[in-house]
Amino acid sequence: MAGSIEEFVDELGGFAETAERTLSAIEKDQDGAKGMFSVFSDRMFAIKGTARQLGLPHVARIAELAEEIAVKGTHAGTRAVVRKCTGCLWDALTTIKVLLVNRDKETTEEQEILVNRMKKTLDALGGGRERVSTDDIAALLKNR
Amino acid sequence: MKQEDVRILVVDDVNSMRVQIKDMLRKAGFKNVHSVSTTQEAKRQLEIEKFDLVMSDWRIEPTDGLDLLKYIRIHPEQNKLTFIMVTAEDAKDLVIQAIKAGVDDYVVKPVSPVQIQAKVIEVLTKKGLI
Repeated sequence: MAGSIEEFVDELGGFAETAERTLSAIEKDQDGAKGMFSVFSDRMFAIKGTARQLGLPHVARIAELAEEIAVKGTHAGTRAVVRKCTGCLWDALTTIKVLLVNRDKETTEEQEILVNRMKKTLDALGGGRERVSTDDIAALLKNR
Repeated sequence: MKQEDVRILVVDDVNSMRVQIKDMLRKAGFKNVHSVSTTQEAKRQLEIEKFDLVMSDWRIEPTDGLDLLKYIRIHPEQNKLTFIMVTAEDAKDLVIQAIKAGVDDYVVKPVSPVQIQAKVIEVLTKKGLI
């Protein structure tokens, strides 16, 4: 692989920093800055894709759930929903940052608890978007 | 056209992804690979250089990969350009949007060197380019 893994992980860390600033802004202005959830979602999307490619599935899994929750945050109708999203996303972001530093360590029980909590939050907000597999995509392309 | 003569433009805002995809393509025998980090740069590059294939991520700045695909499909000289979306975006409605917009193939990250080589060769062969 061209480039060092450290260099690539540093780039992921930069995305996490942007996401952190975005989340702080949303917390300060829960009504006005709600649209910034899309910035957070974009950064989580970037982390998800890059982490998958770098073989960091634990990071990718949390980033994917965070991305979906942030998408829900964009459409939040009440402050309570905004708070529910930001609370969960702070935990996700903190865990992602820890995982990037300690990327060689095993999955911990705390991470599993976080993933389950995120899944529950997402379900409570109406669930994530429908995903397709590689085979589904091949079928969709064939039947266009 | 020989594989080494195929001109490929990689569009991804994440440096590590650009580096890895370029590396995979070069190792697969595609020597003429150029990369950019924004859709704006991609559009500019397409105006000054002829490419045979664009491989683009979905979420890039300032617009996105779908916008780039639509731009190419209505471009008077580039509308036949082969386009592969290489992205972590696997939401069904978005994949369908890309297919409707005329994407030639759609690859969900992570991609392996073998997969990327096979996809590119398959698509270019189908289009009679190699």
